Amino acid sequence: MKHNEYKQLLQLSLFGELKSEEQVKLKEHLLICEECRTELEDQKNLLELISGKKKAAVDEEVLSAARYQLRGALRSERSNQNIFNSVADSIFQFFPSPLKFAFAGAAILIIGVLIGGILFNQSSQNEFIGQQNGDNRFASLSEDISISEVRFIDSDASDGEVEFTFQASRPVHLKGNVNDSQIQSVLTYAMLNEQNPGSRLNSINAMDTETPTQYDSDVKNALITVIMTDENPGVRREALKLMNKFPYDEAMKQTLLYVITNDTVSGLRIEALIGLKD
Amino acid sequence: MQLNDTDLIIQAQKGNQNAFEELVYRYDRNVLSIALKYSNNEDDAKDLYQEVFIRVYRGIKNFRFQSEFSTWLFRITTNVCLTYKSRSKEHLKVSIDKDFDDEEHEFNTTKELVYDGSTPEEISSGANLGEIVNAAVESLSPKQRMTFVLKHYEGYKIREIAEMLNCKEGTVKKYLFDATKNLRKKLSPVYA
Repeated sequence: MKHNEYKQLLQLSLFGELKSEEQVKLKEHLLICEECRTELEDQKNLLELISGKKKAAVDEEVLSAARYQLRGALRSERSNQNIFNSVADSIFQFFPSPLKFAFAGAAILIIGVLIGGILFNQSSQNEFIGQQNGDNRFASLSEDISISEVRFIDSDASDGEVEFTFQASRPVHLKGNVNDSQIQSVLTYAMLNEQNPGSRLNSINAMDTETPTQYDSDVKNALITVIMTDENPGVRREALKLMNKFPYDEAMKQTLLYVITNDTVSGLRIEALIGLKD
Repeated sequence: MQLNDTDLIIQAQKGNQNAFEELVYRYDRNVLSIALKYSNNEDDAKDLYQEVFIRVYRGIKNFRFQSEFSTWLFRITTNVCLTYKSRSKEHLKVSIDKDFDDEEHEFNTTKELVYDGSTPEEISSGANLGEIVNAAVESLSPKQRMTFVLKHYEGYKIREIAEMLNCKEGTVKKYLFDATKNLRKKLSPVYA
């Protein structure tokens, strides 16, 4: 066994991942190799230093706060789903069964285009103002910023000062090449977080260009997340199509296998099979 | 009698909200713990936690019991954490406060390790040791950081981490070796 391989065994030993025969080999090597003994001591010191950060349990207050926020988010998720489902149901009942699927695809596309159009028009009317300057910390808080969730830390103005936090959001108009990492970051965020499936679909399609594109590594991770978790089969399909354009690797293979074994839509399972075969 | 995971999942797939909540409460400590140690920030960890379970909620109808629920859940957790950079609050805050044309501006919010020149004695007796360690861990690449957190702080086996990250055990070992190497480089002034 080469010296470097012993160094790897040494690390695995500290991780508690060595088989007993490997442990014996390493012990024998350590008896005759001073360099590895020094290395072992050094790594033990490092792990000891870092182990100080190991926290026993999650703080109950943080957990309670997280659960509280989650309950709110789930309520909002359910109400959005109910609205979407009732609109879809009321439209679908006018169509015979074979037309429903074709209509669903078309409806998603139209909704996506409409929302895209509305958002585009709105943002083009709201120019992005310059960044804050040193003298005026609130210069960027102009009239086009919407402020919400104002929470007071100190509302007692007896000393002339108050302290609070708030959420500020502003319409942003962004135009640029799809190769730009900032553009990709925003589209990645949208494909993961937009509540409207049409917007998620458009975000993925915007990155699916005919020309060669340099994708940020986050894009692939996001696509994998979408393929595994997005509720909308159309969004999952587009994500799968785009992911297949990336260089094939283990993560992609596992994702395709996941779709083959888990996805409820047969068309997607077939596409994953074709992707795996290719 | 307490329902097992499979029963709860079937109930949740039928729209039973209580079953879904029960499922959440069985695993949410582990999810929050990973999120906290990965992000090193309570607010971000709570956002990650919420994002994970919203995705689980959206995806549970498609869950077909081909893997353990926990494997699926932790796979989502690691994926959400790994894409965390692009959705972090820093990112959103910057998009409001800074001009997109600013060429100096980067979306990467990873803190650079700032070793302030304190002696090892000062550091070991002072409060900034934890900050230096945190900054060193934060300076790792997302996958190195994730494998390091899962292995050292959460105590998962390399085989389990490979399942969560959808990769081979060899790849996990490589991330761990690289993480250790980088941490040694960054922290050697502190412990050497």
